Amino acid sequence: MPFNQAFALSSILLATVAFSGLVLGQSVPLWLALPTTIIITISILHAYGVGFIRRAVTQVTVSPTLLNGLLVGAFIILLIDLIAVSQDLLPAGIHFLVVLLGVKLLTLQQRRDYRHLYAISLMAILASAALTSEAWYVPVFLLYLLAAVWTLLLYHVTQETGETTSSVSPLSTSACHTTFPVCITRRFFWLTNGTAVLTVALTLAIFFLIPRMGAGVLQKTSGEALRTTGFSDRVDLGTIGSVKQDPQIVMRVEMPDQTAVNKIRLYLRGLAYDQYNGQSWSHSGTRRRSLSLVAEGTFLVPPAGSYPPDSLSGPIRQDIMLETLDTEVLFAAPLAELVRGEFLTVQDDVMGGLRLPAPPSSRIRYSVTSREPQLAPDDQTASTLVYPDSVRAHYLQVPEGSQLVAELAHRVSHEAMTPFARTKVIQQHLLENYGYSLDADTATLSHPLEEFLFTRKTGYCEHYATAMVVMLRTIGIPARLVTGFLATEWNEYGGYFTVRQRDAHAWVEVYFPRSGWVTMDPTPTVIAAVAPSRWEPLGRFGESIRLQWDRLFIHYSAKDQLAVVHGVRESGDVMREKGSRWISALSAPIGQLFKRLTEIARTFEPGLPELVAGGIVVGLALFILMVRDRIALWATTHLPTSHAQLAIVQLYARMLRTVERQGVSKPSSVTASEFARLVEREWEAGAPIVATITALYHQGRFSRTPLTPEDLSRAAEQVGQLQSLTRVAR
Amino acid sequence: MNSSHTIRSIQDNIALVIKGKAHVIEMAVVCLLARGHLLLEDVPGVGKTTLAHSLARSLDCSFKRIQFTSDLLPSDIVGVSMFNRQKQGFEFIPGPIFANVVLADEINRTTPKTQSSLLEAMSEAQISVDNQTHLLEQPFMVIATQNPSEYHGTFPLPESQLDRFLMRLCIGYPTVEEERKVLDRPYSLHPAEALDAVLSAQEVLALQARVDQVHMEESLTDYLLAIVQATRQSELLSLGVSTRGALGLSKAAKALAVVRGRDYCLPDDIKELAPIVLSHRVMLNRTHGMRTQSFEHAERMVLDIVDTVPVPV
Repeated sequence: MPFNQAFALSSILLATVAFSGLVLGQSVPLWLALPTTIIITISILHAYGVGFIRRAVTQVTVSPTLLNGLLVGAFIILLIDLIAVSQDLLPAGIHFLVVLLGVKLLTLQQRRDYRHLYAISLMAILASAALTSEAWYVPVFLLYLLAAVWTLLLYHVTQETGETTSSVSPLSTSACHTTFPVCITRRFFWLTNGTAVLTVALTLAIFFLIPRMGAGVLQKTSGEALRTTGFSDRVDLGTIGSVKQDPQIVMRVEMPDQTAVNKIRLYLRGLAYDQYNGQSWSHSGTRRRSLSLVAEGTFLVPPAGSYPPDSLSGPIRQDIMLETLDTEVLFAAPLAELVRGEFLTVQDDVMGGLRLPAPPSSRIRYSVTSREPQLAPDDQTASTLVYPDSVRAHYLQVPEGSQLVAELAHRVSHEAMTPFARTKVIQQHLLENYGYSLDADTATLSHPLEEFLFTRKTGYCEHYATAMVVMLRTIGIPARLVTGFLATEWNEYGGYFTVRQRDAHAWVEVYFPRSGWVTMDPTPTVIAAVAPSRWEPLGRFGESIRLQWDRLFIHYSAKDQLAVVHGVRESGDVMREKGSRWISALSAPIGQLFKRLTEIARTFEPGLPELVAGGIVVGLALFILMVRDRIALWATTHLPTSHAQLAIVQLYARMLRTVERQGVSKPSSVTASEFARLVEREWEAGAPIVATITALYHQGRFSRTPLTPEDLSRAAEQVGQLQSLTRVAR
Repeated sequence: MNSSHTIRSIQDNIALVIKGKAHVIEMAVVCLLARGHLLLEDVPGVGKTTLAHSLARSLDCSFKRIQFTSDLLPSDIVGVSMFNRQKQGFEFIPGPIFANVVLADEINRTTPKTQSSLLEAMSEAQISVDNQTHLLEQPFMVIATQNPSEYHGTFPLPESQLDRFLMRLCIGYPTVEEERKVLDRPYSLHPAEALDAVLSAQEVLALQARVDQVHMEESLTDYLLAIVQATRQSELLSLGVSTRGALGLSKAAKALAVVRGRDYCLPDDIKELAPIVLSHRVMLNRTHGMRTQSFEHAERMVLDIVDTVPVPV
């Protein structure tokens, strides 16, 4: 295939791959995808030299003004799209990108157009990378890499030879091998593409298999752990406020069974507290149990308490990537059943909090399967509930001097008939009558709860939750305070929740005998201080890319490598077993042969003729070793296509480009000397130099003896002179 | 003696007689060096015979001239076996073909039968008569002249015969100045008769051997073959160039390189020779109402085709 044709084809292929990436990402609507596909098909056929297409295309000439008009129109449509239709930068941008791609494909003529096409396809493949995290993207991307390598290679080569794509004469496609560097041999194709594939494969292999040699020079030091509040043994009321505006990411929670999840909010439970002394919360039972290990890295959490709830929700699996925190608490949706992670031990306490023995020193990954207790119908309707003693002992404690709170609780709930109804009424009262505010630093006050309930009437989650717990307890309903995170930021691109410091939250768990501990939240939903901006999805999208990058590359650890190696070895074992049967079948005769040879060697008694023969062989080998450079030199100077020949062809091509800038171009069917005469007529000043270079070119290109280095440097000098001449002329 | 000097001298020698036709003379010399045969085609009286004559005169070789007429027989050319009484057996009397340079004047005035008798001599440089094969002396060159085919009393040459000519040249009318020089010459003697031989047969053979040494780069071979291919695929032609034609073009290009003082070919050699070497070997699809194709027309077609083939860079 001729170079130019291959070049055009591979450029279109590159664009096609990028476009199909977008289509597979389902970001191109049908009304746009269809015409673009048609355009791509036409341009492929055109580049392939299908006769009627070529004729049709040459007949249709598009004026630049019309094209510019089209582009301006497309840009206006982009604006309309952005404001009215998609209302989002990314989809609208992609639509515009596809339109640009189509227009460029239709007007591929100059090298500049090709460069634009590459830029567009690069943006397209990046955009499709951003839109997906699925596996089909990998082959598309690999294909793109290959096509890109190949196309850029051809681009470079065509530039070097100074071939312009527009001057392909109709016959050159059939007479593929007529011109010197204008044809792609099969060898060239496989060599270059093979190199590209090999490079990619080698890089991947090195990345995944070669062990990491310590830390990189530029690696970011792990730094300090993030400071968290609310997860120590003792929590002062009113300290969370300080972190409520911190946007630092604490963890990311993936939900593999996305359908089962409400993507609006997810409670990630940290620790529960049962004792409130009027100013701070603490645990009464500090006893911790180690969880039983059911499989490697899998821990089973026993049901909390001796009264397991009647019914549980379906399993909710969360894959959590926890940043380095200063707490040993493991967060999970309420009630965790199974914990999987690379831990030696995991502990839990009586209130269902999960912990590691010590705060982890690096970011950790673990996954938890939880089942949430469902409120049993009996518990909702029963007018009195009987609580077990252990619950009554721990979860009805109120600080001394809570009469005001108790009065309020009774006043609010005296009309409700059932404990469940009372709970609801109190929650409702808190939701409706108190304002959310972060300026409520009550940590230094002696009665922060009373301050919140009766004086300020504004506060945040901790205040609400504490108020609800204490109020419930004063009317005899067991409850406890839970701290953790409330995830609300769903990243639709990566399919996970981003949890930040400011998502730290406190809520309430209320005990019902048949249902267990039921989550309730008295805090009103915070209306975000800033309206969601148009750029927010873009930010989320960048975030998800960063996560993927992080996971696949930055934090791809030696442990992951080990896993890959194990996998490779396991599949290798199977192969080896098959192979060994073959080898054993083959090896028997070979072994016998070796035995015979060693036998001969052992009994060999060298006589004079053998010694002489051996000496000759060794001498010959040494001789060849010594003169092999000379042989190689001889071979290169006697090759028909020597380096000197290539060099003069390149110089000549450079001369052609220089002269072309002067407005004299060489049609492909014109010989060098005819061209020299043409230059004589068209550009007198440059003619002598062109004549000199042409003479050298003739000698170097077509004669049997290659040019001497002096001749070559003279030619280069002449080309330089010609270039300076054009500069003067301009 | 320096080869380029030798070649220069023979061209100069011919130029003494043929005024202002340097290119035609050069091509004739190329044909000689390429071991080819030359077909000169033009209207009567522009110097075809004179050119052939002076080329032959410039060489120190044997020269025979055969005037082709409609009643000429093959044996008049190749020779005949006669009974020799003294030896009591048949003896071969060589015809005029047994010479180094043979001028076949007005070759298309004779019958195809007689024309064909030249075939073996031209391609194999040998003659077979009565089961006997006689080798011709080297160098051997046939220079034929013919009038354009539309003239009266002509038998067009068969394709097989045409293909055996390496080149077909057209001399064309001289300019006024050149014609004046021709007229100013003293009239007493045929100018060609006055020429001295400047080259011996041995020297010609040496030059021919030199042509074989000329280097043709691989891409040039490809270029040549692409031109030949293009004539076969062209819609303008009903008959493309034969392999003998391709071989001839290659040889001629090498000879031209020697004449121009090089030991390697250039694309220009091939491009310049293509119309001269190929145009009489092709047949046009449309002959524009003429009985046979005209010379200029075929040349223009070949030129057009050559212009579609890219030159190796």
